[in-house]
Amino acid sequence: MAATSRTYRSIRGALSAACALTGIGGVATSHATEVETAILGYTEPNRVSALETVLQARHDFGSGRLANFKVVYDALTGASASGAVPGAAVQTFTRPSGRGSYTTAPGETPLDDTFRDARVAVSGGATLPLGRLSTISAGLYGSGEHDYTSLGANASFSRDFDRRNRTLSAGVSFSQDTVTPEGGRPIPFASMTPVGPDQPRLAGDGSKDVADAMLGLVQVIDRATLVQFTYSLSRVTGYQTDPYKLVSVVDPTTGAPVDQIFEHRPDARTKHILFGRVKRQLPHGALDLSYRFMTDDWGIASHTVELRDRVALGGGGKYLQPHMRYYSQSAADFYARWLLDGAALPDHATADYRLGEFHAWTFGLEHGRDLGRDHRLTARVEYYRQVGDGHPAGAPGALANYDLFPVVDAWIFQVGYSFGS
Amino acid sequence: MQRRGDLFAGLFSAMSGPCEILLESCDEAQALRLAELAAAEVLRIEYKFSRYRDDSAVGAINAAAGAAVRVDDETARLLELAARCHALSGGRFDVTSGILRRVWKFDGGDRLPSRGQVKALLPLIGWGKVAWENPVIALPAGMEIDLGGLGKEYAADRAAELVAAAAPAAALVNLGGDLRATGPRGDGAAWRVGVEDPGREDHAERVLEMKGGGLATSGDARRFLLRDGIRYGHILNPRTGWPVRGAPRAVTVAAPTCTEAGVLATVAMLHGREAEAFLEGQGVGWWCRW
Repeated sequence: MAATSRTYRSIRGALSAACALTGIGGVATSHATEVETAILGYTEPNRVSALETVLQARHDFGSGRLANFKVVYDALTGASASGAVPGAAVQTFTRPSGRGSYTTAPGETPLDDTFRDARVAVSGGATLPLGRLSTISAGLYGSGEHDYTSLGANASFSRDFDRRNRTLSAGVSFSQDTVTPEGGRPIPFASMTPVGPDQPRLAGDGSKDVADAMLGLVQVIDRATLVQFTYSLSRVTGYQTDPYKLVSVVDPTTGAPVDQIFEHRPDARTKHILFGRVKRQLPHGALDLSYRFMTDDWGIASHTVELRDRVALGGGGKYLQPHMRYYSQSAADFYARWLLDGAALPDHATADYRLGEFHAWTFGLEHGRDLGRDHRLTARVEYYRQVGDGHPAGAPGALANYDLFPVVDAWIFQVGYSFGS
Repeated sequence: MQRRGDLFAGLFSAMSGPCEILLESCDEAQALRLAELAAAEVLRIEYKFSRYRDDSAVGAINAAAGAAVRVDDETARLLELAARCHALSGGRFDVTSGILRRVWKFDGGDRLPSRGQVKALLPLIGWGKVAWENPVIALPAGMEIDLGGLGKEYAADRAAELVAAAAPAAALVNLGGDLRATGPRGDGAAWRVGVEDPGREDHAERVLEMKGGGLATSGDARRFLLRDGIRYGHILNPRTGWPVRGAPRAVTVAAPTCTEAGVLATVAMLHGREAEAFLEGQGVGWWCRW
C-alpha cells in the first residue's frame, strides 16, 4: 500500500540504545539477525576423530520473510574399519591410492589408517509468505572434500489451518553427488593387488542422484502439547559402493583370509521414513519424545527412539537437558562379514559395519545459559556406544576366536555460542 | 488466578484495560506471588506517570506552569527516551501532543474540531519548545507532557523483567494488547498470541508467534471519527494537529522490548501511507492492517 518506494533509514539501533537507558533490556530472541557458532569434537578412541566448526546466520526481514546461510568445516583424521576380518598372521593391505601399504597385527581388526579429510559444506535458503497462511521455502546446498562433492536444491510449501493450530507441509529435494576416490574406483569384487598400479579400476567418476519427497503435519493439541508426523520417501540411484571398503574371502575350514576383494553395493536404493514426535510442556521444563522408523529395499529396517528433557534452572535462561537415544537396525540383505573361498560370489556384498545389524545408545547432557542480553552459550557432552554381534554363528575356523564386530565407543563434545542484533 | 492447562493466568485491571500475566514452569503459590509482583509494578508505573494526578511525576511537571522541575531517575530515563524518540522520528513522536485530546474526541462519531480550534493548540505542542536538561525539565506555561505513549509498553517490559529476575518461570505479560515475554516457553516453543484484525468483519484474530521480546500494536479499530465518508484515525500528527492521512488502521510490531515495539508501531502510523516502507527498513517483525 505504500504510495512510493522511498526507503527509510533504520532507527532501530538507536532506539534500542535509547530503550536500554530506561533500564529495560530485550531478551535474546526475535532478533533481526541471529548468528550461531559451534565447535563439535567427535572422537572414537584409537579410531576416527573429527572436529567440526559451524557458522550459521539467519536474518528476519519482517513479515515472515527469512533468509539463512550456513557454513560447516569438518576435519577428519584417524583409522576406520576396512571391512576385512582379523587373521592369525600379520596382514598387509595396500592403501587405496595404490602407493604404500599398512599392516595389521594378528587378531586385530584391520583399520585403514589413511583417513584424513576436510570437508566444506555451504547452504543457504529463503522463506517467503504466500498469502496470509502459506509459506514457500527454497534452498541450495553444496559440499566438497578431496574425493567427494555434492550439490543439491530443495523446495517446500506449508500452509496453516485451524487457527494456525495445524500446519501441513510438503517438500522435495534433489542432489547429485560425485565420488572421485583416491586412486580411482576399484572394480567391484576385484582382489586387492599389492602396492603398484595394477589394481583394476572402473573408468570415470562415480555419481549418484538422490531425490527426496516429504509430507509433514504439525498439530497443536493443547496449550502445552504439540505433535508432529512426517513421512519421507528417498530414492538414490547411481554409484553407492564405498570404494575403500573390503570383504575378506576366507578358507571355509580354517577361517584364514585367502583374498581381500572390494565390496559391491546395488546401484538403487529406496527408503521410506516415518517420524513422529510429541513435545510437551511440563512444570519443570519440557519433554521431547520422538520415534523414527526407516525401511529400505536393501533389507535394512531401523528404529530410533529419542528423549530430551529440558529442566529450567533458575533465571538467566539456564537449563540442563539430559538426552537419551536408542537406535537399532537390521543388516542389509547383502551384508556379509566374510565370503567363503570356493563358493559362488553373490550379486552384492559389503562388510561395512554401518550396514550390519547393531544397536546403539547415546547418553548426553546439555547446558545452556544466557550471557547478557543478546548472547547465549551452550555446552553439550555425549557418549555413544554401538554394539553388534562380535561372534556370529557359523564363523569358520579361527574366525570364531575373534571379535568380528568390535564395540564402537565415541565421545562428542560441543560448545555453541549464539548472538543476535 | 486461573489455571489453564499447564499455565497459570493472573488477571488484573490497569492502564484502562484488562491485563494478564501467563506463567508456566512454576507451582501455584509461586505463580500467585509472581503475578502479584507484576501487577504491583504495573500499578506503580500507572500511578507514577498518570497525567490525571497532580501528585504523579508527570502531574508535577505539567502543574509547574513554566517552572523547572527536577525529576527522579526513572522519570529522567523515560524523558530521555522521549527526547530521543522525538529526534529519531523526525519530530513525529512527540509526548507534548496529548493536549490535542482536548479538541479531538475519537468516539466513533462525526464531530470534527474546527481548524481554528486545532490551530489554537499548535503553539502548545512541540518537544523542541521544552527545556530538557537531564534531570531538569521546564515546560512553557500551558504545555503538557503525556507519557501514555510509552508508559504501558514500559510497564509491560518492567513487569516481565521483574518476574524473570525473581524466578525461572517463563512468563508473558499482556497489558491490553501490549505484550512482553521473558523468553520462549519452557520447551523452547513460541507463545501464540491472538491479535485482533480490525479489517475483518468477523473480528477474527490472527495468531502470531513470539519466542520472547515485545509485541505492541498502534491503532484502534474503535477509536476514529467518520465524516463525509472520510475516516479519521486517532493517530494525530503533532505538526498539524490533524489525524495522519492514509495511515493503516493498526500496526503491530515485534521487537526485543515492548517499548521499542510500541515506539516503532506509533512512528509507523505517523508515516501514514508510507508506514510499510518505514517498517521495511527497521529489521523487525511487523504487520499492518489497512
